[in-house]
Amino acid sequence: MNERVARLRQKSLDTKPWISTERAELVTEFYKYTRGLSPPVRRALAFKYLMENKTICINEGELIVGERGPAPKATPTYPELCCHSIQDLDILNDRKNVSFAVSDQVREVYKEKIIPFWQGQSMRDIIFQEMSEEWRAAYDAGIFTEFMEQRAPGHTVLDDKIFRKGFLDFKVDIEKSLQTLDYFNDPEAHNKHEELKAMSICVDAIIRFAERHAEKAREMARSETDPQRKKELEKIVGVCSHVPKHAPRDLWEALQAYWFVHLGVITELNTWDSFCPGHLDQHLYPFYRKGLEDGTLTSEQAKELLQCFWVKFSNHPAPPKVGVTAAESGTYNDFSNINLGGLRPDGSDGANEVTYLILDVIDEMRLPQPSSNIQLSKKSSDRFLKRACEIIRKGWGQPSIFNADLVVEELLRQGKSVEDARTGGTSGCVETGSFGKEAYILTGYFNLPKVLEITLNNGVDPRTGKKIGLETGDPAQFKSFEELFDAFKKQLKHFVDIKIKGNNIIERLYATYMPAPFLSILIEDCIKRGKDYNDGGPRYNSTYIMGVGLGTLTDSLAAVKYHVFDKKNLTMEELLQALKDNFEGHEKTRLMLWNKTPKYGNDDDYADRLLKASFDAFYDEINGRKNTKGGFYRVNYLSTTCHIYFGSVVQATPDGRRASEPLSEGISPVQGSDQHGPTSAIKSAAKMDHVLTGGTLLNMKFTPMLLEGDEGIDNLVHLVRSYFRLDGHHIQFNVVTAETLRAAQAIPEKYRDLIVRVAGYSDYFCDLSKALQDEIISRTEHKSF
Amino acid sequence: MTVAEVVKEIEKDTVFYDESGGGATFSGGEPLMQQDFLQNLLKLSKENEIHTAIETCGLTGSKTLLRISAYVDLFLYDLKIIDNAKHEKFTGASNRAILKNLRELSRHHDHIIIRFPLIPGINDNEENILQTGELISSLRNVEEIDILPYHKGGIEKYKRLGRSRKLAEIRPPSSEEVSKIAEKFIRFGLRVKIGG
Repeated sequence: MNERVARLRQKSLDTKPWISTERAELVTEFYKYTRGLSPPVRRALAFKYLMENKTICINEGELIVGERGPAPKATPTYPELCCHSIQDLDILNDRKNVSFAVSDQVREVYKEKIIPFWQGQSMRDIIFQEMSEEWRAAYDAGIFTEFMEQRAPGHTVLDDKIFRKGFLDFKVDIEKSLQTLDYFNDPEAHNKHEELKAMSICVDAIIRFAERHAEKAREMARSETDPQRKKELEKIVGVCSHVPKHAPRDLWEALQAYWFVHLGVITELNTWDSFCPGHLDQHLYPFYRKGLEDGTLTSEQAKELLQCFWVKFSNHPAPPKVGVTAAESGTYNDFSNINLGGLRPDGSDGANEVTYLILDVIDEMRLPQPSSNIQLSKKSSDRFLKRACEIIRKGWGQPSIFNADLVVEELLRQGKSVEDARTGGTSGCVETGSFGKEAYILTGYFNLPKVLEITLNNGVDPRTGKKIGLETGDPAQFKSFEELFDAFKKQLKHFVDIKIKGNNIIERLYATYMPAPFLSILIEDCIKRGKDYNDGGPRYNSTYIMGVGLGTLTDSLAAVKYHVFDKKNLTMEELLQALKDNFEGHEKTRLMLWNKTPKYGNDDDYADRLLKASFDAFYDEINGRKNTKGGFYRVNYLSTTCHIYFGSVVQATPDGRRASEPLSEGISPVQGSDQHGPTSAIKSAAKMDHVLTGGTLLNMKFTPMLLEGDEGIDNLVHLVRSYFRLDGHHIQFNVVTAETLRAAQAIPEKYRDLIVRVAGYSDYFCDLSKALQDEIISRTEHKSF
Repeated sequence: MTVAEVVKEIEKDTVFYDESGGGATFSGGEPLMQQDFLQNLLKLSKENEIHTAIETCGLTGSKTLLRISAYVDLFLYDLKIIDNAKHEKFTGASNRAILKNLRELSRHHDHIIIRFPLIPGINDNEENILQTGELISSLRNVEEIDILPYHKGGIEKYKRLGRSRKLAEIRPPSSEEVSKIAEKFIRFGLRVKIGG
C-alpha cells in the first residue's frame, strides 16, 4: 500500500471508539417539535434533519469521504430504539473489551436531554412491555435472544441498482408509483402515499447530504496550500456534486455513491449487519474497465481508491449495545461482508480482474472490517480459490469461503427466481439472501442444548428452579431413547411457539412505529408496492431463527442413547445426578461420557444420525411458518459469540461438558471432540441438509505448518472443493497454533495485532473476552489432512 | 477388523480421492509383514476403483512383491544406504534383497517413487548420494525421489513409549543442506521432492 493508505489505515486503527451524542441530540430535538405526522413521514423528516444538520467531516488525505458521526470512530446512539442509561454508558466506558470512551459531557447530555425524553418510549421499552410473561421467562432463562430489542431489522445487501441509477432516477420511480395509487379500490392507498412521500423526502435528504460534502470540500480546497491535495479536494467536489444524485460515471464516483448510501442506511437506523455492497467486484467491473480503456484510471489508482474505501468501513464500529446483547456479539465489527466471485445473473462465472484486485486489497489492508468472503461455484477457477487460500494461510481469518451453487439452490428452494437467486449471496456471518430484493431478518439465537436440559428436568430450568417448560414426563421413567426425543420435540415446539409469537408482535411494532423509508428506496419492490422495508415492501421477506449448540445437543443425545439406553453403562437417575452435581464426585462418569461416546465430527453414523434428527426437528418446527409480512420463517445455524452466553446458562450436559462452559459453535463439532481429522469433520457436517437452511457456519483450525508450500494450498483447495461437492454451505479457517494464542493471552501487549477468526467474522484476539479466547483455543487443531 | 471393514472405512473418503486424485496408502511399520491381509485389502480396493499405494522398505521375497504389485498403483520404496556394510550397521539388515527387489520391481511396475530419509552423518555423504543417484537413474519407471529430512518429531513419542533413542543427538539438516543434496539428485535427471 502507498504512503497515503498506510497513514489512513494506521489512523483508523489508532483511533479509539467514542460515543457521540450528535445524532441522539438531533433526533430528540426533531421529535420534540414534530407531532401529527404519519410514522413514515416523521421518520423521513427525522432522517432529513440529520442529513442536513450533522457535522460534515472530511479527513486529511482521504479520497472517499463521509462519516456516520462527526469524526472517525465517533459512534452515534439511537435512543428512539434503545436509550442507554447512565449506568450503561459507564459500562461502555469502563469495560475491558470493546469499550467506548464516554465523556462527562456525553453523560450530561444524556442526563439532561436524552434520557428524560426517551425513557419508557424507546422501541426496546415498548417491546419489553408487549411481551408475555412466558416470553420473558424463556428470554431470562437464556432459551433465546431477541435481536430487535436494541437494533433495527437490517440484514440486507445491495444489488447493482445504485451503480446504474442516481437518486433522481429513484425519485422518478417513486413519482410513478404515487401516480398509480388507486384511492377508489385500494384501502391502503393512503398508507402507501405516506410511505412513498417519505421515500421521496429521503431522496432529497441524501442528495443534500452529498452536496454538503461538496461544499465542505470546496471550502477546504480554497484554503489548501498543497497543490496535490487541492486537486484532490476539487475532484471530491465534483464527485459529491454528482453522486448519488446521478448514476456514477467512474470508479471513484461508484465507490463514493455506495459510501453515501451506506451512511444513509446506518444513520437512519442502527440496522443489524450495518449494510453491504454485496458483489462489489461485479458492480465495479464496468467502471474499472472503462477507466482503463479511456486512460482515466490505472490499476494502481483503482487499488488506492479501494483501499481508501476499506478504511471507511474500519472507521465505523458497530453501535454499542447493552446487557445480554453485548455478550452475544462483543465486537466492534459491524458485519459488512464483501462478496467476491460467485455467479452473474446469467449464470456465468462472476470473477473478473477487480476480484483479484480486491483480494490484493484484503491481503494488504488486513483489517477486520469490512469482512470478506469468496463465493465459490463449480465454475470458479482454481486460481481464484488458490489466491484466497494464500490469504487464508496468513492466519487472520479472511476471506471465508461459500458454496455459491448451494447458495443459489437454497434461494431457489425458498421460491426465488433464478436471476434473483444468482444476484444473491451471503452477508453478515453466513446468511443467504437475495441481494437488493429481500429482507432476511435474523430475530434471535435459539439455545438447543437448553431445551434438552429442560426436557431432562421435566419442564424445570435447573439453574433457577423455575418451571418454564412443559411437563413432558420424568426422564427416569422413559423406556426408550425415542421417548426422550419425543419429549424434546414437544419442549422445542413449546419454546419455538413462544419465540414466534413474540417475533410477530415485534415485527408489527417495527412496521408500525419504525419504518425505514431510506432503506426502502434501495430494496425492490418497496417503491413499486408503496410499502416499507419493515412492512413487507421487499420482494422477499424471510424471518430467521438461528439454532445454536447443534454439536453439544448431538453429543448429549448420543451420550444418553449410548450409555443409558444401548449399553446401560449407567441409569438415567445416575446421569441426572451427575449433571446436577456438575460431575463433582462423578469424574469417572464424566470421562466416560466425554471420551467413550460416539461424537459428531468423526464421520460416525451413530452420532451423525442424531445430528440429522436434531437438525430435522428444529427445521420441521420452524421452516414454512408464516411471518406477518407475507413471507416465511426459515432456520440457519450460526452463533456469532452467543454460544458463550448460552453456555453460561446451561448446567452440565450429558456429553461431559461442565456447567457454564461454552456450547459448540456454528455447526462445528464440540471443541476438541473431532479427533479423526478435517476430512471426517467435513463428512459429518455434510450429513445435515444444508440446502434447507439459510446458512450454516463451519469453523476449522489448522496449525500453520500444515498449509506450508504449494502442497499446503493444494490440500486446502481439495478440502474445500470436497466439502462443497457434499453440498456444504460455508467453511472458514483459523491458521494459528494454540501456543501462539496462549502466549497472546499471557502477554496481550505483544500481540495487539493478532487477528483471529471468531464466528462469521475476524477480530483482534486481545479484544475478545477471556471465555471466548479460551473457547477458540480449545477448538480442535488439525495437524494433518 | 475384516478386509471388508477396512475397505468400508477407506471408502468413506471417496469424495476426497475424487477431488484431489488421491487414494489409500498402506504403510506401517511394514505393510508386507501382513502380506495376505494386505493382498486381499489391495485387491478389494482395486475392485472398488480406489487408487492404492504402499510404502515399503522392500525387504521381502521378490515373488511376494511381484504378486502384490498387480494390485498396487504406486510404490513408495524406501532407499536408505547403498553400501551394504553400512546398511547392516545402521538398520540391522543387509540391503541385498532390497536392491534386487527394486531392480526387479522396476522392470514390472510403472510407478515407483523412491523415499530417501536424509540423516546427517549417516547417509548424507557424497559417496552414498552418488551411488543412490546412479542406481535410481539406471532404473526404468522410477519417476521421483522424495527426500525426507530427518526431524525430531518422534522424540516425545519415544519417551512416552519408554524406548531409548539412539539418534537423539543428531541434528536435523538445514534447508541449505537439503537443497544441496536435492541439486545432486537433479543432476542425475531425477525429479526431486522435498518432504512428501
